[in-house]
Amino acid sequence: MKQFAARLFDPLVDGLADIGRTGWFLLGLLAALPRGLTYPRELLRQLWFVGAKSLIIIMISGLFVGMVLSLQLYYTLSIFGGTSALGTVIALSLYRELGPVVTALLFAGRAGTAITAEVGLMRATDQLSAMEMMAVDPLAFVASPRFLAGVIAMPLLVAVFNLMGIFGGHLIGVTWLGIDNGTFWSNMTSNVSVWTDVINGEWKALAFGALISLIAVYQGYTAPPTSEGVANATTRTVVTSSIAILALDFVMTAFLM
Amino acid sequence: MTDTSSDSAAVPLVQVRGLTTVLGGKKVFDALDLDIARGRVTAIMGPSGTGKTTLLKHITGQMHGDAGQVLVDGEDVARLPRESLYVLRERIGYLFQNSALLSDYNVFENVAFPLRQHTRLQEDLIRNVVLTKLQAVGLRGAALLMPSELSGGMARRVALARAIVFDPMLILYDEPFVGLDPIALNQVLKLIRTLNRELGITSVLVAHEFAAVREVADHVHLIANGKRVASGTPAELAKGDSPWTAQFFGGALEGPVPFQYPAPPLASAFGFPGVAP
Repeated sequence: MKQFAARLFDPLVDGLADIGRTGWFLLGLLAALPRGLTYPRELLRQLWFVGAKSLIIIMISGLFVGMVLSLQLYYTLSIFGGTSALGTVIALSLYRELGPVVTALLFAGRAGTAITAEVGLMRATDQLSAMEMMAVDPLAFVASPRFLAGVIAMPLLVAVFNLMGIFGGHLIGVTWLGIDNGTFWSNMTSNVSVWTDVINGEWKALAFGALISLIAVYQGYTAPPTSEGVANATTRTVVTSSIAILALDFVMTAFLM
Repeated sequence: MTDTSSDSAAVPLVQVRGLTTVLGGKKVFDALDLDIARGRVTAIMGPSGTGKTTLLKHITGQMHGDAGQVLVDGEDVARLPRESLYVLRERIGYLFQNSALLSDYNVFENVAFPLRQHTRLQEDLIRNVVLTKLQAVGLRGAALLMPSELSGGMARRVALARAIVFDPMLILYDEPFVGLDPIALNQVLKLIRTLNRELGITSVLVAHEFAAVREVADHVHLIANGKRVASGTPAELAKGDSPWTAQFFGGALEGPVPFQYPAPPLASAFGFPGVAP
């Protein structure tokens, strides 16, 4: 019985301990951030790596999400005879919810895993120790630029995702399903507010970006220096960030309503 | 133990005093004492798993003991604040066993890395310094290759060029001979000797290969079970006066270092009747 309880609660305790350690890591990372800013070339390299190289997957996904939204919402709205609101509903769903969340999940899979694997391998091949031995703080040189790049890239990627989503929604709604072009746009522009809807979504994007890159860098930084350790850390990055994104999304939605 | 001498040249560069370290419940060092003399090549040898690499990490302040001290150039490494520790590390070159070249940068940038981080030198001056160091290890022509394109011996020589780019007072070599073919081994041996004899850099090397150590080392410390069990010139140790040196340099299976990992008696492991497990 005792063993059963232990087996049940051990993962929970491990998980909580991991959250605590990630928090400590964040404190160290924030302390190193000002020194991290003295490596602008590293930041640019990472922005290219996590931001620019994620563009294609974000654009294609945004397009399809917008197209599917258009089909599904057209069906739902037609029950109530309100298909003229299609543009509004697509834009609100994207800006407030789907844009940040889907982009974050894709970002965790595309950029988060790459960061964890890269930093984990740098740990495994003693590159981080070598930096320490050359009197260079890896928190400032390796962790900070990757963290910052995630924070900067996510809001921009979300904007691109939303743009492609609305384009896809328009493509299906107007071109295929035959909604009037003027109705689609005018309903959308009069009912979507930049300050509440668009900016709220961008706040989420910023928070998710920080969360994903923190988890990714932490997992890589603390991965055991073996191939199995790096593989497990990469998996944990995806699992932990996905859960954290969805949980934080609920909290932020409740507060930003 | 008399380090009150006013002549600083006579004081060993590295002094380990009563160092005790417990890792994962195992006593890696048990009141270890040893000295590294200035301007000499000192080898640290011992059976696998006796914490030779761990000792190097204590010297650089990457790890700290639970008791005792490690003095480098008179400073207690464990008590140094981070800034002073980093200043000290700029004067120490460390050659990692797996070279630890930064995989994002080419050979030139790897060697230039410490210069770019800690100096504001002009680009052409950096270029001169880096190419000089690469010339010293015979790899000036490989400056534009990426670390993934290098063989193990070449990577180690690049790492060596990087370790000496600041003309350090001390170089620590962690297993510099592992996995090298005889040619590469001789090249590394020659480099260690040259750096020590011509530039006067104090060198510490951790190694298993007595034949190679014999060629370069002025002094050898043999450590086992967390203690220094023998010291002397390679020739003295090769005579094998103590059971430790006799076993280690003779390679005997049994001796002070047991062949069997500690285990309960064989009979109980097989579950023979009448033997309590």
